[in-house]
Amino acid sequence: MMTLRHAVASVAVAATVFLGAPGALRAQTASVGPVEVLDTSYRLLLELVRHTPTYSPPVASRAIAYIGVTAFEAVAAGSDSLRSLAGQLNGLDPVPQREPGRTYDDGLVLQAAMAVALRGFFQNTGPTGQRAMAAVESKLRAEAAAGLRSDVVVRSEALGREVAEHILAWSHGDGGAVIVNMGFPLEHILTQGEAHWVPTSLIVQQQLPLLPGWGGNRTFAMPDAAACDLPPPPDYSEDPTSEFYGEALEVVEMQANLTPEQRAIARFWSDDPMLTATPPGHWVSIAQQILERDDAALDRRVDVLARLGVAQADAFVACWKTKFEYDLLRPVTYIRRLIDPKWEPVLTTPPFPEYPSGHSAQSAAAAAVLTDLLGENFAFEDATPAADGLPPRAFASFQAAAEEAGLSRLYGGIHFRSAIERGQEQGRCVAAYVNALRTRR
Amino acid sequence: MCKTRLRLAMIAASVARATSPGAAGEAVVLPSFVEETASAGIDSVYSGGWEYIVGGGVTTFDCDDDGFPDMLLAGGETTARFYRNASPVAGALRFEAAPSGLELDKVTGAYPFDVDSDGVTDLVLLRVGENVAMRGLGGCRFERANEAWGFDGGDAWSTALAATWERGADWPTVAVGNYIDRREDLFPWGSCTDNWLHRPIADSPTARSFAPPTPLMPSFCALSMLFTDWNGSGAPSLRISNDREYYKGGQEQLWRLDAGLPPALYTDADGWKPLRIWGMGIASYDLDSDGYAEYFLTSMADNKLQSLAGMPQSGPVAPTYADVAFARGVTAHRPYTGGEVKPSTAWHAQFEDVNNDGLVDLFIAKGNVAEMPDFATNDPNNLLLQSPDGKFREAGEAAGVASLRPARGAALVDFNLDGLPDLVVVNRGEGAQLWRNTTPNAGGWIDVRLRQPGPNPDAVGAWIEVRRGAALMRREITVGGGHAGGQTGWRHFGLGKSTEARIRVVWPDGAASAWQRVGGDAHYVLERGQPARPWAPD
Repeated sequence: MMTLRHAVASVAVAATVFLGAPGALRAQTASVGPVEVLDTSYRLLLELVRHTPTYSPPVASRAIAYIGVTAFEAVAAGSDSLRSLAGQLNGLDPVPQREPGRTYDDGLVLQAAMAVALRGFFQNTGPTGQRAMAAVESKLRAEAAAGLRSDVVVRSEALGREVAEHILAWSHGDGGAVIVNMGFPLEHILTQGEAHWVPTSLIVQQQLPLLPGWGGNRTFAMPDAAACDLPPPPDYSEDPTSEFYGEALEVVEMQANLTPEQRAIARFWSDDPMLTATPPGHWVSIAQQILERDDAALDRRVDVLARLGVAQADAFVACWKTKFEYDLLRPVTYIRRLIDPKWEPVLTTPPFPEYPSGHSAQSAAAAAVLTDLLGENFAFEDATPAADGLPPRAFASFQAAAEEAGLSRLYGGIHFRSAIERGQEQGRCVAAYVNALRTRR
Repeated sequence: MCKTRLRLAMIAASVARATSPGAAGEAVVLPSFVEETASAGIDSVYSGGWEYIVGGGVTTFDCDDDGFPDMLLAGGETTARFYRNASPVAGALRFEAAPSGLELDKVTGAYPFDVDSDGVTDLVLLRVGENVAMRGLGGCRFERANEAWGFDGGDAWSTALAATWERGADWPTVAVGNYIDRREDLFPWGSCTDNWLHRPIADSPTARSFAPPTPLMPSFCALSMLFTDWNGSGAPSLRISNDREYYKGGQEQLWRLDAGLPPALYTDADGWKPLRIWGMGIASYDLDSDGYAEYFLTSMADNKLQSLAGMPQSGPVAPTYADVAFARGVTAHRPYTGGEVKPSTAWHAQFEDVNNDGLVDLFIAKGNVAEMPDFATNDPNNLLLQSPDGKFREAGEAAGVASLRPARGAALVDFNLDGLPDLVVVNRGEGAQLWRNTTPNAGGWIDVRLRQPGPNPDAVGAWIEVRRGAALMRREITVGGGHAGGQTGWRHFGLGKSTEARIRVVWPDGAASAWQRVGGDAHYVLERGQPARPWAPD
């Protein structure tokens, strides 16, 4: 890795002061390195997911995946240890590389790449998001470029931009680039029959299901969305002795006897869109907390974040394909129809079909990838919802966290058990493809 | 114009009768508005950068005691504009821009009320920076009163206000809602500035001064506040509509405010259910005449209409609300004209009976926040007419008020005293607009104004009840709600085909006046302990 970081003074000043100094190496200590660029960019990413109304969980997973790949490739281009994902991820052609013998600055390459990627994926965010993106970009750029020779600045920024633009161009053809009406179709024919999804919300926009075509998107690491298909859910039945009725009754009884701990778990993993960074953002937050806690090296960080993002995005594509294949009704619909007309779930029922559970699928995928990267029985504490006033939770392993995330949907009254367990199967299937990627030389 | 001429004008205006069939099969009086912005002399623009993406309030009040509502339009970075009403009765609207002392910059909105109970309306200007209390001097002149009244204007991005007189108090209690910490460039989310509660100075109940404000914690980026007696307890609570775009862990709020006690939030344990919306405006009215107000909450995409659902067989009323927006046809989630299908963005909302059919209607100001591509850019204002079946149906385009400019604040106010509420709308970055209500076939009406001796002369917190036959209309006199602006003065009631009505007032202390019979198509001053006094402009 060719970097020029010569500590001369401890006070950072604006890069423009030094851009005209020919032959100068870094004149002063940079106040921000590539790790800080990455962390700050990811913090902004999670805020933008939270505050951009089109960012439902599937849409969030897609952006998180592409931005993770962007960061990975920007770092991999100057790394002796990382191996590009080009040729491994579906449709990703070779990524722009560094010119041999020329000097680049890792932090500035990464900063430029992340700035372009964030602007690209969040061009539709509101005025505050735009303002924050501009402010973060300006601050990080000034600090990353401080003291660098002007030719290094120009070359590094150009490479970062080219990497990000390459990834952005790749993203445009995956089927998920255009989100209209916050993801709710303007026309959609509901499947007829008692077993099938009907609206559960009084919000007009949600009278049709979210993103019915998402399962047709290009996948990242798995060959296609069908690679992790699931068997059908239990046969629909209104017979009180049936398996289906039994699962509904379990939801009712579970909620009637919910312990404070179970209620807290439901809230902890609720991860509502437009109020949180969504479920995929939650797992990114978990990874970020661990990487920060362990002071992980840059190559480890981008490896974790890229693979985590890809796994979650593929899990959502696979899950959405299955959701609309079976188009199963939600517990609230069945329970009110057959068991208790006044029944209310603890959590707000999401506006799309029930089977399988998206949170379960993507959490299982995330856990399997993190386990592969960081190890079995990797204990950690998760404080992601702290800003919402919820206390942190401790987990003995990623698997344990994923299982709890899945169960939270049963506690919350928005999923049957089969959707959770089979969703987790689907997530593990997806993760196997991601874990087969070769990110190291 | 004398009262006789006014009545003649009313008669002339009601010669032509035109109705349209409502969806329920009943005839709905179709309102008609004519834009008179330019001819009326209105040329105000609410402008500015990021700090002015919200705000843009309209404030109406009568500051020269002629009965005609005057108005102040927030200007944002430029100075607010005061307009003195020079309209002839029932004639074309006309205003004169005049120096008043209210022409401050950085004004996001303002609310009018008689702070010092001297019979002259005062204003509190909400600003990006220091809020300023302005004492009315009469003759539409105002002077700064922060120091005289002990009003700490602070230094924040203020966006909401509500005021009330707590039981036994001679001096009002004012809540100020604040938005984001405007100095947070990098990560402004979660930086909601504390709201402030300005109560009368505590050591002297009769003191004419505010105590230092206390923070209303937690605060969640308020864009509308309303003191309202939601449960008929006689002690108004503070409802706050918050913008979920910026808070973390937040929700809509209802603060209990008992005299002499610290404010306390209603919680799950009380029956309050979390609601998280892009809260931007509050409109209230007792739509179902059950004695409790409904609350319309503006947001992005679907809007909410909350109706009290927490009425047990016995015991206290719980603050549990059901959303009946879908059922009553007021979600107003998407433009109905203008060619876009993206979700709408709603700001000011107000219930008024614009066609005087005896059913209150709902106006909603609409406009994109600022280059939010996922939401409609061409976002027409709504005018939702209530039908006899209780549902509301869109009439904005037919009525002529479907402006596609990016609206913020607004007011439905009868500027020319013809018994038909006119409309003024402030737009962000574009000129404000003024429409005269020219509905040719409107029903009867009465406009009333309350007066009581002593503190709170305008009877903030009172309820006005109007009966015509079996129908009962109830509205609360409040200071607050809407988006960044409010009205004081005449309160309007449509009477439909009735030529008279019975009216009474439940005064802020809970005492109810006797029912009085009044004739239609007239203004009345309801002074406590006195018979209704007809009023007509000189």
